[in-house]
Amino acid sequence: MAIHMFAAIDVGSYELDMKIYEVSRAKGIRTVDHIMHRIDLGSDTYTTGRIARRHVQEVVRVLRDFKRIMKTYRVEEYKAYGTSAIRETDNSSLILSQLEQETGIHIDVLSNSEQRFLDYKSVASRGEAFNKIIKDTCAIVDVGGGSMQISMFDEDRLVSTQNLRLGVLRMHAQLSRIDARSSQAQALIEELANSQLEVYQKLYLGQKKIHNLIIVDDYISSFMLQHGIEYISSEDFGKYVDGAQYASGSVYERQYGISTESFPLLYITGVMIKAIIKAFGAEMIWAPGVTLCDGIVYEYAEKKKILPPSHNFEDDIFACARNISKRYQGSLTRSRTIEKISLEIFDATKKVHGMGSRERLLLRIAATLHDCGKYISMMNLAECSYNIIMSTEIIGLSHIEREIVANVVRYNHEDFVYYEEQELASDLDRESYLTITRLTAILRLANGLDRSHKQKFSDIRISLKEDRMIINVKAGVDITLEKGMFDGRAEFFEEVFGIIPVIRQKTGV
Amino acid sequence: MAPAISDKFRNPAYYMNRELSWLQFDLRCLSEARNRENPLFERLNFLSITASNLDEFFMVRVASLLDMLNADYKKKDIAGMTCQEQLTAILKETHRFVDLQYSTLNRSLLPALDQEGIVLIDSYKELSKSEKAFLSEFFETEVYPVVTPMAVDSSRPFPLIQNRSLNLGAMLSRKKDAGPGILNRDKNPKKGQKKGQPLEFATVQIPSVLPRVIRLPGKEESKARVILLETIIRENIESLFLNYDVVCVAPYRIMRSADMDIDEDEAEDLLKEIEKQLKKRRHGDAIRLEVASGIDKRLLQVLKDELELSDEEIFYIDGPLDLTFLSKVRKLEGFDHLSEHRYLPPQEVPELPDGCDIFEQIRKGDILLHHPYQTFRPVVDLVARAAADPDVLAIKQTLYRVSGNSPIVAALAKAADNGKQVTVLVELKARFDEENNIGWARMLEKAGCHVIYGLAHLKTHSKITLIVRREEDGIRRYVHLGTGNYNDTTARLYTDVGLLTCKEPYGEDATAVFNMLSGYSEPRTWNRLLLAPLWLKNRFLELIAREKEFALHGEEGRITAKMNSLCDQDIIAALYDAASAGVKIDLIIRGICCLKTGIPGVSENITVRSIVGNFLEHSRIFMFNNGGKPEIYAGSADWMPRNLDRRVEIVFPLEDEAVREKAKHILELELADTMQAHILQPDGTYEKVDRRGKDKINSQLIFGQEAAEAAKAARPKPQEMRIFIPMEHHEEEGAKEDAE
Repeated sequence: MAIHMFAAIDVGSYELDMKIYEVSRAKGIRTVDHIMHRIDLGSDTYTTGRIARRHVQEVVRVLRDFKRIMKTYRVEEYKAYGTSAIRETDNSSLILSQLEQETGIHIDVLSNSEQRFLDYKSVASRGEAFNKIIKDTCAIVDVGGGSMQISMFDEDRLVSTQNLRLGVLRMHAQLSRIDARSSQAQALIEELANSQLEVYQKLYLGQKKIHNLIIVDDYISSFMLQHGIEYISSEDFGKYVDGAQYASGSVYERQYGISTESFPLLYITGVMIKAIIKAFGAEMIWAPGVTLCDGIVYEYAEKKKILPPSHNFEDDIFACARNISKRYQGSLTRSRTIEKISLEIFDATKKVHGMGSRERLLLRIAATLHDCGKYISMMNLAECSYNIIMSTEIIGLSHIEREIVANVVRYNHEDFVYYEEQELASDLDRESYLTITRLTAILRLANGLDRSHKQKFSDIRISLKEDRMIINVKAGVDITLEKGMFDGRAEFFEEVFGIIPVIRQKTGV
Repeated sequence: MAPAISDKFRNPAYYMNRELSWLQFDLRCLSEARNRENPLFERLNFLSITASNLDEFFMVRVASLLDMLNADYKKKDIAGMTCQEQLTAILKETHRFVDLQYSTLNRSLLPALDQEGIVLIDSYKELSKSEKAFLSEFFETEVYPVVTPMAVDSSRPFPLIQNRSLNLGAMLSRKKDAGPGILNRDKNPKKGQKKGQPLEFATVQIPSVLPRVIRLPGKEESKARVILLETIIRENIESLFLNYDVVCVAPYRIMRSADMDIDEDEAEDLLKEIEKQLKKRRHGDAIRLEVASGIDKRLLQVLKDELELSDEEIFYIDGPLDLTFLSKVRKLEGFDHLSEHRYLPPQEVPELPDGCDIFEQIRKGDILLHHPYQTFRPVVDLVARAAADPDVLAIKQTLYRVSGNSPIVAALAKAADNGKQVTVLVELKARFDEENNIGWARMLEKAGCHVIYGLAHLKTHSKITLIVRREEDGIRRYVHLGTGNYNDTTARLYTDVGLLTCKEPYGEDATAVFNMLSGYSEPRTWNRLLLAPLWLKNRFLELIAREKEFALHGEEGRITAKMNSLCDQDIIAALYDAASAGVKIDLIIRGICCLKTGIPGVSENITVRSIVGNFLEHSRIFMFNNGGKPEIYAGSADWMPRNLDRRVEIVFPLEDEAVREKAKHILELELADTMQAHILQPDGTYEKVDRRGKDKINSQLIFGQEAAEAAKAARPKPQEMRIFIPMEHHEEEGAKEDAE
């Protein structure tokens, strides 16, 4: 039986976390060790924008020890991610390179959406329990140090995900600045939370009720887990929170075994969740007790094809994109047409462009969002679309992937700027830029084939013949406009792929 | 959440002072020295144990009370006594106790030894000529070179008298015709010294490098004449102070406080801090002075003044000081018949026969080891096998007190040498073992082990070993959890249990324990192990409260628990609470017990017994009836505040049926013991079981016999062995073979 040893490391805002896993086809994922080290990187970042030198040294010490532990278990592969504390630090690249130099451990920074997507995957890795709970209206409330992600499900499908600046450490820092008395704390937290929740409710919920909440966090989940509670009714949850209102940390420590330093953070999380319960009309709460590391290993097992996927996450990502398009009043029919044509071209030219399924997904998203900027300005469609995509989180996409999609949409509408011609410094490397180029060429061609926005082609078949790509279209109407627009776009396509696209019309019903 | 308990159960009148309870324990040991049913040498050993126990008691407990008194600490103890009241009561009881020790020695043991042909010589007057000649030679060649007489005068301060060292004090008078000599005349005579009578104080430490008990040469092997080293030096004292007349000489011994509280937060390096404390210990204040009962008043006054002791702190001893020498007497050759022989040596564990694959055996099911009836070897073997096993990835272990030349330490070093990740927590704070532990720690570090020096403010008392092994179907963790230390020497003397398991929940918890001990956060949940100071106390309180609930609902509430000491007020109050609700509680507590039995309406349902026998009862086993589905636990923790609140302790459940039955049997047999059990009386004293109409049951003896029978039954029968049996009738057999 092939067993892979894998380590997942989470350099979090409040904790350095490493889990050692055994991953095998026969037995799935099994946690072998879980090592946690408390370190408050978040407070540094959120208050000063930098991570203190002593904290960096501490991280180095712990990572070196993690490395020793990995060696003990003969770990074959690891993945280390930094989250919001590292991401939001002004000198993050400097710190990461220093950490790698001193420990040999390479840390990638997760964008918020990537991080939340992994958290989501960790919840989904619970299989049946997850599938059961999302059958009813459901939201994952992922409480981090700096922010909170609310991901909404409807009929098994992720429909929206939104990030609110309601992190537990951020809230704690705010309360410390206000110097609130404990008797005022609950009201203040509720007030701060409600100011954001009300907007969220108006934009995304309306009158809809969300019956189930899935909580992903460091404190409530641990507390519930420690006391053998996985599911709790909203009413009982409220009682716990209210009971803690006048308790001091030491009382809680004695009664519930909570450390004095964790108590305020547990309480803040509790009050924020209570506010969400009220806003959403939630009835039941599930705390599966998963961590980011569980999501990391799940992704590893998926990518390595050690485990079959238990849930189609690409559908979730795409559903989110659709929802964004809907919010900006994009035409569903047109998006579908462009998506269809784009994918036909993509699949037919696979041998030529060599791109994989991930790029195919990005193309689908770009096709779906191709005209979202119209909501703001018909004139500045390209720029507005770019900006909307860049400021909207699409769960599951990395920052770079989002930038690829935004650029593909932008260059679908305006002149392409070559890598060498870029004026502003960009996060994009040459390879990513090449992806933009290729996807833009495809999207432009597809867009040209529905220039009139009238979905004139009843059937499109694409085939490659030597240096030509023959596009056989069936249309019962005049396609002069499409043919006219086609040439300019075909030129760019040819430049990119070295293939000349040719359009052939078959008339008939 | 800890269950609420009525304050009425916290009434100080319901509690026994822990120090007085401890003295009761030493009395129980002393009663075994007086017990004529015990072999003579074992009686000597018990008396020796009472002496070393009392030393430790003074150095630690009395010293601690004195510290509290000096710090003006006002809080009363569990029984409502102030520090001063406790000290007064302790000293009063101790004087009575010491008198009993020496009456036991003088009236019972020395005459009994005499009858057996062993004579302890107290004076050269009792020696023959040849014996005198032998001792003269012995003194000249062996003793004289290593003794250092030290004098006190105005230019020489009072020397540092080492804690627990045995000394001879003398008052000297300068010979008239002698020169200036080693001493100056003191112009300001001290108290007790008459003006114009120039007496000087001098002291000689009895060298610890020489044996204290010297057997005189004799022809008869069945007879032994022995003399103590201090007697030899006393008789030759004049030769140490050539220009002086020795006016008087007497042995004395002082006890200093040894309690040390290390402020670990302030200590930059814990190791150095402990070494510093050890050096300091020699300078601790004197808290007890023992002198020979006929000591010269002038000599006594010098000591009293110098050591600043009150009259109550001075003990006049009617016999040799420091009775620990008696344990050496029992090693005299030719008197083996006076030793205990009823107890069998540790037996092979049936589940772990010699040469077996220990990992495979553990995989078959949990194994409970019962020491010293069963051998400790499997525990050593486990580490040794792991050290050599290429599939073993890591070995982690806590070491509290280890023996000299510990095979476990050697195996750990070997494992590190073989490239395994070896993590060892060496608890430096194990009292009186610090120097020893620092030695191990350094040795293990040199061998490449990852050594952790305990946790700040918490003594790691838990006994746990984790072996991480990579097997065909993945990582498997083998865990040993014990009630006793990883010490192969004490494992032959202390009764303990140890669990060997490879069940996943235990393995996960064990991994988390070592992560925590390495400084990482505690895990989000625990599967099986109960850990102090985290949840252990609350869990015990919940388990006790659950029995109460059963009793209140008309079901049987029952608790049977065995431990070394019980003095945690919360636990005792919970036990009273449960007992008053009808829970039947049977406790087997070897040492301190602050709970009182027989209080009407409070503790009539509680019995307490203490087993003091050939082996030191040390295991902790707890059984809660749980409505007929008993939960049984074992572990390293007593029901004492230090164990529950200030130490890292592990208590573990016993789950496999065979293992549970074994633990239950241990408790049942000890409750049935009629030979070595002492029953706590309502007045706080202990009495032996009234044996009238009862069988003679010595649980320790029976456990040994049972272990031997089980080992014998597990041994392969001769026909199963690969043995070639020689034929006695060659021709007939040969003929038979031909016929076939």
